[in-house]
Amino acid sequence: MNEFEQKILRQPLKKIPGDWRAEILANAESAAVRRTMFASQPSLFSTFNRQLSTFFWPHPKAWAGLAAIWIFIFAVNFSMRDKSPQVVEKIAPPSPEMLVELKQQQRLFAELIGANDLREADRQKLFLPRPRSEREKVLVA
Amino acid sequence: MRRGTEIERLYDGHAQSLFAFLLNFTRNEADTRDLLQEIFIKLARESELLSGVRDERAFLIRLAHNAAIDLIRRRGTRERTKENFAAERISPFAPTNDPDNKLFREEVAFALGELPEEQRAVVHLKLWEGLTFEEIAGALDIPPNTAASRYRYGLDKLRERLRPLYEEIK
Repeated sequence: MNEFEQKILRQPLKKIPGDWRAEILANAESAAVRRTMFASQPSLFSTFNRQLSTFFWPHPKAWAGLAAIWIFIFAVNFSMRDKSPQVVEKIAPPSPEMLVELKQQQRLFAELIGANDLREADRQKLFLPRPRSEREKVLVA
Repeated sequence: MRRGTEIERLYDGHAQSLFAFLLNFTRNEADTRDLLQEIFIKLARESELLSGVRDERAFLIRLAHNAAIDLIRRRGTRERTKENFAAERISPFAPTNDPDNKLFREEVAFALGELPEEQRAVVHLKLWEGLTFEEIAGALDIPPNTAASRYRYGLDKLRERLRPLYEEIK
């Protein structure tokens, strides 16, 4: 340290005002007490957690087993659900032979019921109530 | 009660150093008081803060430095703060009746106030706290070489600024 530094160093620094001590320490202490009070007040989550642990505590193994069963059921459920779209994808579109067979069956079914009834039903289906204006157009045409 | 005793011990052991450091840094007595209060509230609330700390003084200086930097950032730009430092001319030195010493202290205080705060912090810790550059580096969270160069630059500026007066009263 050279002479210049020594000269500066010899200048004494201001002293901390004596009356600060009591106030600063009192404020610090009360802040710490407030914090402790807040910390001792249980939060909603901790209350819920405590109640939950009280409920589960008597038979923890039984609850754990139950949870494991549920997890297993969920796992099985999810694995089955995953397969179902694949099954749908795997079903091939009906072949032309099958379609012909299906139409034959439909025709047979229609004959068994009776063709007249079917025609009557078809005719009824053809009549659709329309607004008057449109009916007029049909007549003119 | 134990915490009360502990906080009192910390105050009695370190408050004077922290006060001098903060006053030199902020150049404002009210700010220094607020920062000191903030530090001791933090220490009282977080009693585990000093557990495992090897050098209490260095740790507390780091707390003080961080708190002062935060205050300056909250206040506004560095330029504005520097202007305030220069304008207020609040001295970190004890008053004296000797006219030569009084003048010299005023000039040193003003010259210190003109230094950038990072240089002023290093100069303060080196001269009045007697810390090594390694200790200053630890306290201010900077590399030791940076601490050394800041001290050198700061001291050069002080010497330049105070040369005429220093030569006169030497």
